[in-house]
Amino acid sequence: MDPTQSTTRTQTLESVTGVHLMQGIGHKPAKGFWGEAWSQVVRRPGAMLGLAWISVISFFACFAPVIASGHPIVWRDKTGAETVTSYPLFEYLTAVDLLLIVFGILGPLWVLIPLGASRGKRLGMLIAAGFQAAVIASLAMYLQSRITHGTAPGWVLDMWLNVKAPKENPNGPRELLILLSSLSIAGAVSLLWMFIPFTKHWWTRVPFVLLVGAVSFACISAKWTPKLESWPYHKFEASGKFEGTYTLVPWSPLQGDTAFNRKAPGESPASMLPEDRVYKTVDRPYVLGTDADGRDVLSQMLHACRLSISIGLVSTSIAVVIGVTIGALMGYFGGWVDMVLYRVVEIFMSFPVLLLLIIAAGVLPRNTYVMMAIIGCFSWMTAARFIRAEFFKLRDQDFVQSARAVGLPLRSVLFKHMLPNGITPVLVDASFLIAAAINIEAIISYLGLGPGDRPSWGHLLSAATGQTGEFIWWLATFPGLAIFLTVLSYNLIGEALRDAIDPKLKKARV
Amino acid sequence: MGTYLLRRLFLLIPTVIGMTFLIFMLIASSKGGIGAAIAFSSGAGQAKGESAALQRARLEDRYGLDSPVVVQYGRWIGRVSPVKFGTRDQVSPAGERFREPRSMKDPPLWEWFVDALPEPDAPKELPGKDAEEQVKRDAYRQASNDFAAARVDHVRARTEFELAAGTLLRETGHRDAVESDGTVILGLAKRIEPDKSHALWADVEQKAKVMLDTYKATISNKATLDASFATKPFPESGWGLIPGVLWLDAPDLGYSYSRSTPVINEIAKALPYTLMLNLAAFPIIYLIAVPSGILSATHRGSWIDVTSGSLFVALWSIPVVWAGVLAIGFLANDKYLGMFPVSGLHDNDAANYLMLPSWGENGFERGYLLDTLWHLCLPVACIVYGGFAILSKQTRAAMLENFTMDYVRTAKAKGVDGGSIVMRHVFRNSLLPIITMFVTVFPATLAGSVVIERIFSIPGMGSMIIDAIFLRDTEILLSNSLIIGIVNVVALLLADILYAMADPRITYK
Amino acid sequence: MPATTPSSAVTATRTSPSASKLDESVPLLRVADLAVSFDNGKGPRIQAVDGVRMTIYPRQTLAVVGESGCGKSVTAMSTMQLVPRPPGRFDRGAAFFNHNGKSVNLLTLSEREMQQFRGSEIAMIFQEPMTSLNPVYTIGDQILEAILLHQNVKLDEAIEIAVRAMDDVGIPDPRSRLSDYPHQFSGGMRQRVMIAMALACDPVLLLADEPTTALDVTIQAQILELLRKLQNDRGMGMMLITHDLGVVAENADVVCVMYAGRVVEYGTVFEVFKHPLHPYTRGLFASIPKMHEHRRRLVTINQIVDNLDEFKKLPGASDGVRPWWPWHDPPKDIRPKPGPAGDYYLQEVSKDHWVGVWRTAAVSDHESPPPDLAYRISDDPEAPSKKK
Repeated sequence: MDPTQSTTRTQTLESVTGVHLMQGIGHKPAKGFWGEAWSQVVRRPGAMLGLAWISVISFFACFAPVIASGHPIVWRDKTGAETVTSYPLFEYLTAVDLLLIVFGILGPLWVLIPLGASRGKRLGMLIAAGFQAAVIASLAMYLQSRITHGTAPGWVLDMWLNVKAPKENPNGPRELLILLSSLSIAGAVSLLWMFIPFTKHWWTRVPFVLLVGAVSFACISAKWTPKLESWPYHKFEASGKFEGTYTLVPWSPLQGDTAFNRKAPGESPASMLPEDRVYKTVDRPYVLGTDADGRDVLSQMLHACRLSISIGLVSTSIAVVIGVTIGALMGYFGGWVDMVLYRVVEIFMSFPVLLLLIIAAGVLPRNTYVMMAIIGCFSWMTAARFIRAEFFKLRDQDFVQSARAVGLPLRSVLFKHMLPNGITPVLVDASFLIAAAINIEAIISYLGLGPGDRPSWGHLLSAATGQTGEFIWWLATFPGLAIFLTVLSYNLIGEALRDAIDPKLKKARV
Repeated sequence: MGTYLLRRLFLLIPTVIGMTFLIFMLIASSKGGIGAAIAFSSGAGQAKGESAALQRARLEDRYGLDSPVVVQYGRWIGRVSPVKFGTRDQVSPAGERFREPRSMKDPPLWEWFVDALPEPDAPKELPGKDAEEQVKRDAYRQASNDFAAARVDHVRARTEFELAAGTLLRETGHRDAVESDGTVILGLAKRIEPDKSHALWADVEQKAKVMLDTYKATISNKATLDASFATKPFPESGWGLIPGVLWLDAPDLGYSYSRSTPVINEIAKALPYTLMLNLAAFPIIYLIAVPSGILSATHRGSWIDVTSGSLFVALWSIPVVWAGVLAIGFLANDKYLGMFPVSGLHDNDAANYLMLPSWGENGFERGYLLDTLWHLCLPVACIVYGGFAILSKQTRAAMLENFTMDYVRTAKAKGVDGGSIVMRHVFRNSLLPIITMFVTVFPATLAGSVVIERIFSIPGMGSMIIDAIFLRDTEILLSNSLIIGIVNVVALLLADILYAMADPRITYK
Repeated sequence: MPATTPSSAVTATRTSPSASKLDESVPLLRVADLAVSFDNGKGPRIQAVDGVRMTIYPRQTLAVVGESGCGKSVTAMSTMQLVPRPPGRFDRGAAFFNHNGKSVNLLTLSEREMQQFRGSEIAMIFQEPMTSLNPVYTIGDQILEAILLHQNVKLDEAIEIAVRAMDDVGIPDPRSRLSDYPHQFSGGMRQRVMIAMALACDPVLLLADEPTTALDVTIQAQILELLRKLQNDRGMGMMLITHDLGVVAENADVVCVMYAGRVVEYGTVFEVFKHPLHPYTRGLFASIPKMHEHRRRLVTINQIVDNLDEFKKLPGASDGVRPWWPWHDPPKDIRPKPGPAGDYYLQEVSKDHWVGVWRTAAVSDHESPPPDLAYRISDDPEAPSKKK
C-alpha cells in the first residue's frame, strides 16, 4: 500500500481496525525510546516550567560574574592629563568564569543552529565538551593549588624553586610553569576525547577536539583565584577624579559594608549617606536587601546559582557512578559478592542516611568539594538496587539464556544489552537525587555545618534567624523560594520522566 | 514466624555495627580524632606547667586513645554490647563501675637498653577473699591510687625519654624515624642501632633508666591492683554465663565529657521527645496520604487527582529548613502572627499545669496536655508535609496497577459492586506496597525530625547530636546513632511483621 | 421485589436442578449488530468489534473462533459490560438476554442493574487461572463472596453451597481447601476453582473465554469434559471462546468465525467443518494437521487467502457475491449502505449457514435473517454421537 493513499485514508477514517493498523494506517510513527519519553515530558506543563526555571538558574550560573559584580565594567582614571580607561570586571574574571561564559554563549547556539547532525547528537557533543572542560579545569585548579601550597610533587617544586625569577617579572617562571602544565593537561585530555566515538570517523572529531582544547587552554592559563570581594571603588569615585560604569547589580557577593547591614529590599544605600559622600555605585537600591554583614542578597543569590547547579550535578554523578558500579558487580557476580555488598546496601537503607550525612559534614573538613563527595557517597543505594534488580531480572530471562546458549559470554550480554536497560530507572532517579542533594545542602548549611566559603542559598537562609533572634524576612523568603523552586523543578522533571517511562503506569493508562 | 523474627533481630546486629563503625571512622578521621571532646574538656589545649605532649600522653594512656582505631572501636562495642567477654565488671553500691585494669603497653625502645622487660614484684599483702567488704574496698582503693600515681610517673618518664630519643635520632641522621612533632616512630626506630658515641646518648640512657624503673613500679602496682580486683571488693555486675569468659550486662553507653553526665541519662531525657514527634507525625502522614491516594486512583484524571498530585509534589519540594524558618518567623514570631510558641515542647511553667484544660481564676488555662499539643503543632506540621507526596503517589500507583489485574475483572464478573472492588479487592492488595513504603518513609521522617528539633529548639536526640557534632563528643554521637539505628530497625521489623500478616503468600519457614 | 430478583430464581433451581425453567426455543442471548471501539489517544479510534450478530440457546454451546485480537473477548466482555468505558465505547447494537421470559438489553443496563446479572445469571471464566484469583483472600472467601452477593442465604448455608460447587468441579476434600489461598493450588485446580465460583450461583449462561489456553493438554481435556458435563446437567447456554479448532470440534454445537471484529462465517459445527465457505475458514482448517494425511508442509492461511480464486467459490459467486476480506480492496461494484459497516453484510448463503460478504450490486438490496440457530448436537439424530 503506498503511503499517500494510507494518509488520505487515515484522514477520512473515523476509526480503524487491527487490520488497518497492520497495514500501517492510523499507526503512530515510532520515535524511539527516549524520543517518546521526551515528547511525553514536554507535554507536561509542570515539567516545562521546571525546565524553564533550571534554564534560568543555569543562565545565572554562567553569567552571574558579569551581571552582579562590584567591579566596574569601564573604569576611567582622570587624574592625569589624559583619561586612562581600564576594564576591571573582565580583568578579574577567573578561568572558570570565562569557561562558563564561553560555554553559556556557544552552547545554546551550537544546539539551536541546525548544523547537519541531529539535535540530540549535538547536545551529546556539547555535554562531552562540557565534561572535558570540567576535567581540564579541575586538574589545572588542583595542580595550581598544590604548587602554591607547596604540596606538589618534589620535582615540580624543585623546578619552580630552581628557576631564577627575573627581576622585571617575578612571577615569570611560575606563570610559565602554569602555562606549560595547563597546556599538557589540555592536550592530554583533548587527545583522550579523540578515542571516544561520539562521531563515526576519527578525523571528524579532530576540529572539534582542537577547538575545545584551545578554548579550555585559553581559559586555564587565565587567572584562578576567585575575586568575590571588590576594591573600594566608591572611595576613589568620591574624589571625583575617577568614574566607573557598573553592571546591573553593582555589588560583588561577598562585598559587605556593615554600615548597610539588614537593609530591607528596595532600600538604597544612597539615602543613608551624607550628601557629599553620594557616589555612583551606591545610588542603586539593594533589590533584595542585605544580610547582617551588609552584603547584597541578590548578588549572593545570583552567584549561588553555580553552587546549586554544580552540587546537584556533581554529587549525583558520584552517586550514580558508585551505584551503577556496585549494582553491576552484585548483579553480575551474584553469590557471595552480592551477599556481602547487599548487606552494605541494607545497612545504608536501614539507617536515616540524612543523619549520617549531617555527622559526616560536621566532622569532615568544611569544604564545598568535600560536601559534594559526602552527598554523593551516601546516596548511591537506590541506583545500585535498580541495577542489581534489573540484572537479576534479565539474567533469568529466556533471551539471555538463549544468548548464552549460543555462546555469547554473559559479560557481553549484561553490559551491552542489560546495562542500557537498567540505567533508565537510574536516570529518572538521578533527577530526584539532584533535588535531594540541593535540599541536603540547604539543611547542612542551615545547621551551620556547611562550607560557608562561597555564597549559598542555604547559608543565606540560615542567616534569617540570626543569633540575635531577630527574624529577617527577606533572608527567609527569597533564598528559600529559590531552593524550593529548584527542588520543585527537578522533582517535576523526575516525575514526568518516570511517568513517561514506567511501563506499569503505561499499562494502567490504556 | 518466631524464627523469622529472631533472624531479623540478628540482622540488626551487623546493621548497627556497620553504622556505628562508619561513624567511628568518620570521627577518627576528623581533626582531633576520637578524643577531641576529652582533650577539650580536660583543658589539654591550654596546658600549663606540663608540656602539651605530656598532657596528651597522659590522656592517651588513661583513655586508651593511642591504640589503633579499630581496637578502640572494638573496646566501644564491647562496652555497648549486652553480651560481654572476659572478667565481669564490679559496681559499687554508689554506682561506680570498676573494670579489670587494661594491660600496660611496653615502654618504647626498651630493646636498646635491656634484653628483657622487668618482671613485676609480687603483689603486696592483701586482705583475703573472705575479709570484710569494707577492708577489701579500702585495700582496692589504695592499690588503685598507687597504680594511678605510678602510671603518671611512668607516662612522664616515657614522654621525656621519647622526646630525648627523638632528638638523638634526628641529630644522628635518622630524620625519617621521627614525626614532625618530635615523637619517635617506634616501628622504624626499633630497627635502628643508636649511635652510643653521640653526646646526647648519656641523657637518653639516663632517661631510659628512669622510664624502665617507673615501668617496673607501675606493673608491680598493677599486679597488686589485679590481685585486689580478684578478691571482688564490690558486687559483680550482670549475669555470668561462663565464669571469667562470658557474661551479660546492661549496655554501658559511656560518659559524655562535654555534658559531664553519663550518656544514658541524657538519652533518657531526649529520646521521649523524638519518639513523641515521630509517633505524632506518622498517623497524620498515613491518614492523609493513603485516602487521597485512593481517591486519586479512583478519580483518575479528575480535579481531585490533579490537585492533590500537584499540591503534594509542591509540598514535597519545600525544603524542611525553609518551612521551619518561615513557620518560626511568620507564625510564631510576635512581630508577625505570633500564634504558636517559638521553641521547646512545653511552656516554662508547664510543670505546674493541670493535666486537662480548665477554666480557672485567670480565665482559660490550657493544661499540660493541650499545652504540649499546642507546642507540637508547628514541628509536627513541618515533619509530615514532606511525606504526603511519596506515600500518596505510591498508593495511587499501586491502586492503578491493581485495577488492571485479572482478579479485579473476576470480581466484577461475579457482580461485586464498585465500592467493594475498590476497598475489598484493589486496596487490600495495594496495602503491600503501602506497607513497604514505611521502609522508605520512616528513616526519612526520623532524620527529618532531627533537623526539626534543631529548628524548634526541642531538646531531643537531634539537637543532642548536632550539639555533639560541634563539641566532637564521640560518646554522644555514637550512642545516639546506636539508639536511632535501633529505633529505626525495630520500626522496620514491625513493618515486616505487618507485611507478613497482610500477604498470605509469605511463609516464614 | 424478591419474586423478580435473579437470586430467588436461582435458589429455586438450586433446590430442584432437574426442573428446567428455561424455554429452550427462545435464545438466551441475542447479540445484534454489536460495535465496540476504543480510544487511541491522538490516533483514530480502534474499532474492535463491528456489526457482530450471534445467538445462544439454552443447552447450546456456541464456539467463537478467530485469531488473537479479532474481537472475540471484547464481544463476550461487552455482554457483561466488563469492557472498561472509557476508553471503550458501545457504538451501536444490543445484547438481548432472556431473563425469565423478558428480553433485557444488557448494554443499556446501569452498573447497579448489571451487577444483578453478573455472576448470578451470566458467569464468566477467564483465560488466566494463575492471576484471576485474588492472592490475598482464601478460595472460600472468594466463592462465598459471590454466593452471599446473589443468594439470600446465611453463612453456613453459603459454605454448604460452596463446598458442593467445589465438589462438583472435582476438587478433592473441598471443605478443608476452602481456607487455602490461591497460591496453594495448581493451575488446573485454580481453573476448577474459577469454574466452581462461576457456577456456584447457577447461572443460565456461561461465557468461557479461552478457559483452557493456559493449561496442560491433559488438564485441558479434563476441564472441557467438566464444563460439558456441568452444562448438560444444568441446561446452561455457553459461549466458548477459543482459537483451538480441536476444542471446537469436540464441544461446539454452533460455530462463529470472526476476523478483524466481524463475523465471517456462522453455522452448525458440521456445516462449517464440512463445507467451509469463507476462504479464511478454509485456510484455518487447511492449516490443521490431519492424522491420515501425509504432507511435507502444512498449508498456511495466507496460501489460501492470497489466492483470488478462493474468493470465487462462494455459492452465488457468478452473480458477483464476494466474501468480505479486509485485506482486499472492495470489489468495483460495491454498493455500500449508508451508515457504519455498510460495505459488509452477513448473508445466509445456504440454509443455516452465514458468510460475511461485501455488499456488492448482487446483494445490495438483500436482507437475510441474522444468524440464529437453535441447533444442538445432542438433539440431532443424524449427528455422530460425540457427546457422552
